[in-house]
Amino acid sequence: MLSTETIYLVIFATGLAVGFGHCIGMCGPIVVSLSLSLKGRSVLVPHLLYNGGRITTYGLLGGVMGATGSFTRVVASIASLQKGVMILTGMLIVVMGLAMAGWIPLGVIFGDYFNPQGVLSRGFRKLSEAKSTATYYPLGMLLGLLPCGPVYTALLAAARAGMEAQSTLEGFFIGVGLMLSFGLGTVAALLVIAKLADLGWLKRRDVIYKISSVIMVIVGVYFVVKAIRY
Amino acid sequence: MKLVVNAKLFAAILCLMTFVICATASGAEGEPDRVVCDIHAGPCSAHISGSKVSLDIEPKPVKAMHDLTFTVTLAGEKPVAAPYIDLGMPGMNMGRNRVILKPAGELIYRGEGIIVRCPSGRRTWKAKVTVPDVGSVEFVFDVIY
Repeated sequence: MLSTETIYLVIFATGLAVGFGHCIGMCGPIVVSLSLSLKGRSVLVPHLLYNGGRITTYGLLGGVMGATGSFTRVVASIASLQKGVMILTGMLIVVMGLAMAGWIPLGVIFGDYFNPQGVLSRGFRKLSEAKSTATYYPLGMLLGLLPCGPVYTALLAAARAGMEAQSTLEGFFIGVGLMLSFGLGTVAALLVIAKLADLGWLKRRDVIYKISSVIMVIVGVYFVVKAIRY
Repeated sequence: MKLVVNAKLFAAILCLMTFVICATASGAEGEPDRVVCDIHAGPCSAHISGSKVSLDIEPKPVKAMHDLTFTVTLAGEKPVAAPYIDLGMPGMNMGRNRVILKPAGELIYRGEGIIVRCPSGRRTWKAKVTVPDVGSVEFVFDVIY
């Protein structure tokens, strides 16, 4: 049996390896969408916040797994929520794709496009002005709930470690620690993708954005279909 | 100037990715034999260095995200240590998911584990059974989601 310290290292290395091998394929479209929606602004802080939110969710889930020591029970209880998040993510990517190309001003969707002082238009304007870089944190927390094979595997390790803990509290903290280690391991790959998708240095970005928008819409629809069949 | 910086960054990233992927791949100790079987129909069997190894998973049908009991039955000499199973997907890194087995009879080893679900929809999984100091074999089978 591995010592607790060794498990942290192993699970961090696992996160690093699956980050480049798995997350790029599965979470890559989301990260690329987020980068493209920044339209050339710096991607580092928003993506650090997105990853911070994602890891926070992993940590909380790990804590619950460690405290209960039951993987199947916890996963069963959040299955519907995960499906909802997957559908929401797909729809979000579609809307981001359409809005990025300027094909649908967000105000039109929410009914007050012709009233710039409308509540929704003002709300979205504030949101997009701040683009509240800070909004990437709760967004990351939400997207951290997306179903993912390697995340399940890491949660399984958290649940197992929790079963061997001396108390519920110890199990909780071990679970949190393990999932934070795993999440930190996955950050490098997603930051690389975020940076690669940052088209700020391109001179002719409009065409790229249009093409990217189409791809984002396709990916978003794919997410929704996958979620419905999940 | 910025283009040059981005090109350097891109090259550095490619090197990092290559390093991580190669480091992960080189961790394997040679490819074990791979046996495709129907785990729902009964135990999967193969030979490692001439000794028969059987893997069974209960309950059936074998479903992902459910508590499962893995049983490995050996033939021949008793191994130096209990065998263990690493679960994964062919061609996809799903993280380390090891099932620790304990003796449950003469050359019979049993342990609990869970096959997780991949949102991609792929249902083909592999169970790599390793018998210490003898070798390993991969059983490839479909599970139910």
